[in-house]
Amino acid sequence: MRIELKKFGEVLTSRPAGKEAIAAIRPSLDLNANKIEIDFAGVLSLSPSWADEFFRVLEEIYGDKVIYLPSDNPSVRATLKILVVEKNSK
Amino acid sequence: MTLRRWDESGKLKALKSPGGWRYYEREMLELFREDLFGVCRAWAGSPVAPNIPNNYYASTQDRFRARLDEMALLISKDSRLSDIESLLPAIVGEIGNNSFDHNLGNWPDVPGIFFAYDVNKRIIVLADRGVGIRETLSRVRLLKDDFSALSVAVTEFVSGRAPENRGNGLKFVMSIAQEYPIGISLQSGIAIAIIEREKELLEISMAESNIRGTLAKIEY
Repeated sequence: MRIELKKFGEVLTSRPAGKEAIAAIRPSLDLNANKIEIDFAGVLSLSPSWADEFFRVLEEIYGDKVIYLPSDNPSVRATLKILVVEKNSK
Repeated sequence: MTLRRWDESGKLKALKSPGGWRYYEREMLELFREDLFGVCRAWAGSPVAPNIPNNYYASTQDRFRARLDEMALLISKDSRLSDIESLLPAIVGEIGNNSFDHNLGNWPDVPGIFFAYDVNKRIIVLADRGVGIRETLSRVRLLKDDFSALSVAVTEFVSGRAPENRGNGLKFVMSIAQEYPIGISLQSGIAIAIIEREKELLEISMAESNIRGTLAKIEY
């Protein structure tokens, strides 16, 4: 299953918007999916607050089945990097 | 000649008529003349908030979000900013949304934030009249002063809304400023954290005057 983040907007920065996004997509998630691919194409800007709300729930459901597709977008790369650092610091 | 130079360097971009003449709109020139950061600091630091134009003020997070989208679109049209066009909305979003997240239901007087930018001067300013970083973090951590509070906020993973899992926003902002040609100053109370443009060093020092909430300036 692939989730295209651009469907939630081009600028994804706030926690309330991240919560709204995951709440909106949750009913349509395939709980038996072998993998969940996150597609960042078309996203202009992503920040840790939105990403934390959205990805944390996905990882709680799917664990390491969540696959982050490669992206050249610096905000995507920086966001994923800090979320990993934060996770490892706990 | 000066205006042509400013147009070419991006300091004050001119509009072009169909015939190729440069021209400027009145609003554009007034904005250029104005000291945005001075207005922002006055709004954040005055005992009573002065009146400000509506286009500098976002009373709710939804309004901030809409204006941030506009800013992101505007910046994305400038090909010279392609390296940082995705990062500026991300760090502005983190700072502005932080103000709302940490003061929701607890604004001491004026709710919302000051948010203004000038794409010609390449400056973005934000402020809130909230409770400030020290009071927010004091809910979960013993902090002796504004300096230790700001230091924790920009270098450690800690949340003022524990047990919620959060607390990476300002670390993200600072790490971006250290890696890319973006300068930032972030003040709360009498402490100010500064990363100068194209420098990696993060310095925390005493600000010129006290701000109860937060005050931020981004230069790119």
